[in-house]
Amino acid sequence: MSIIDILLRYRQGLCAGLWVTLRLCAIVWFLGLVFGSLIGLAGAKWRYFVGLPSSGVSFLLSGIPILVLLFWLHYPLQSMLEIVVDPFYTAAAALLLMNIFGVADIVRNAMRDFPDQYVIAARTCGLTSRQTFFRIKLPIILRQIIPPLLTAQVTMLQLTLFASLISVEEIFRVAQEINAQIYRPVEVYSTLAVFFLVVCLPLNGLALFLKHAYTRDLSER
Amino acid sequence: MNTVGALSGRGIGKWYRATEPVLKGVDIEIRPGHITALIGPSGAGKTTLIRALSFLDPPNEGEILLDGIAHNFPHASHDRFAPWPSLTVVFQQLFLWPHLSLLQNITLPLINKHDGKRNGEMLAELIDQFEMQEFIHRYPNQVSLGQRQRAALARALVLEPRYILFDEITSALDVEQVASLLGYLEILRERNIGVLLVTHLLNFARRAADHIVFLDNGRTIESGSPTILDNPVSERLKKFLSAVQAAT
Repeated sequence: MSIIDILLRYRQGLCAGLWVTLRLCAIVWFLGLVFGSLIGLAGAKWRYFVGLPSSGVSFLLSGIPILVLLFWLHYPLQSMLEIVVDPFYTAAAALLLMNIFGVADIVRNAMRDFPDQYVIAARTCGLTSRQTFFRIKLPIILRQIIPPLLTAQVTMLQLTLFASLISVEEIFRVAQEINAQIYRPVEVYSTLAVFFLVVCLPLNGLALFLKHAYTRDLSER
Repeated sequence: MNTVGALSGRGIGKWYRATEPVLKGVDIEIRPGHITALIGPSGAGKTTLIRALSFLDPPNEGEILLDGIAHNFPHASHDRFAPWPSLTVVFQQLFLWPHLSLLQNITLPLINKHDGKRNGEMLAELIDQFEMQEFIHRYPNQVSLGQRQRAALARALVLEPRYILFDEITSALDVEQVASLLGYLEILRERNIGVLLVTHLLNFARRAADHIVFLDNGRTIESGSPTILDNPVSERLKKFLSAVQAAT
């Protein structure tokens, strides 16, 4: 049985798995970028009230492997709270937590490292605060943060695979199930590898291109 | 001092901690069409004076007269006073906006100057005067320091300021670039712009300036024509000049 045969025969299952992976990604990406950016912006503005606690959480999370977090949210926490949550949402929560604080770190650091002198130069050229924000600060900061944010989102897509370990029927789990039925590990996992290469490589390539083309050395301060 | 049609500071005091004043009653005047050089050792308060005079970091005490209008400190309302771009500053590191080409750096400040014809003429004149035709569409990271400096000067000049304050713009330049800068300063003089120039190059100050101010420990120690560099009166300036001479 070739890769094409597997794709054709199990297309329904694979599409369902892909759909779950994409839904998981959509939640983690969208909410992660929105809330992460808000926490990052607030952290840059209110350094002590938001910035430091957010850095603390981020530091704490950096010491916990995603798998441990996922299992902890899935088993002990739900057992302690005497609740049962759909594994899909548990996985989304674990990944979202990681993404929110990762994005917040990227945004906060970019805001913190932004050289004030560019703003002072704008003031001495007679630009208003609004003009300075929209024409100087925002474009420079976006150029600095978009490449690392893209890379972080690709990592999130790759981390969705761990959801299979708490029975989320995402694409990796579907592939495992297909392999359990037909025992064609080379073909099944090669198909999966190709899928991730096709999705992740262009995104990583785009991040690399944006980094080289648009980010600037801001050390001139 | 004839302060009408001039930028002048009287009794300028500035401190970040009350016990350690950085400026202690400095008097200075910058007149249109004249170049004033501010010299002094590191930590004398030169950059602080520039920031105070340009209202970027207003002084804690004293008076700034801008074309005859007095701004007394401390006074909360002056914290929001914005004399820019009629009074502008060119910094040592230039701070051209890195995401914009040199042309965009020069034209962005024009968004608030609604005279398209005059803006276009001014822009063409500056590009021509500073010989920037060949690299005007490049980004700051794609050109040399000398070319960046010309763009920064053009960015300041395009808004037709009356006063320009230069903070140590000679510090990263080689001999040839300093010589070119002398030529550019002459252009500013011809345009009747008042210039305050902080520099550590005494020969440059001697050749460029009409007036020299020697600042030390937050005070004006001596000021006058460039001849004060040859015949200093104060012991402190004599000591400073001999230290500079020994080092070069």
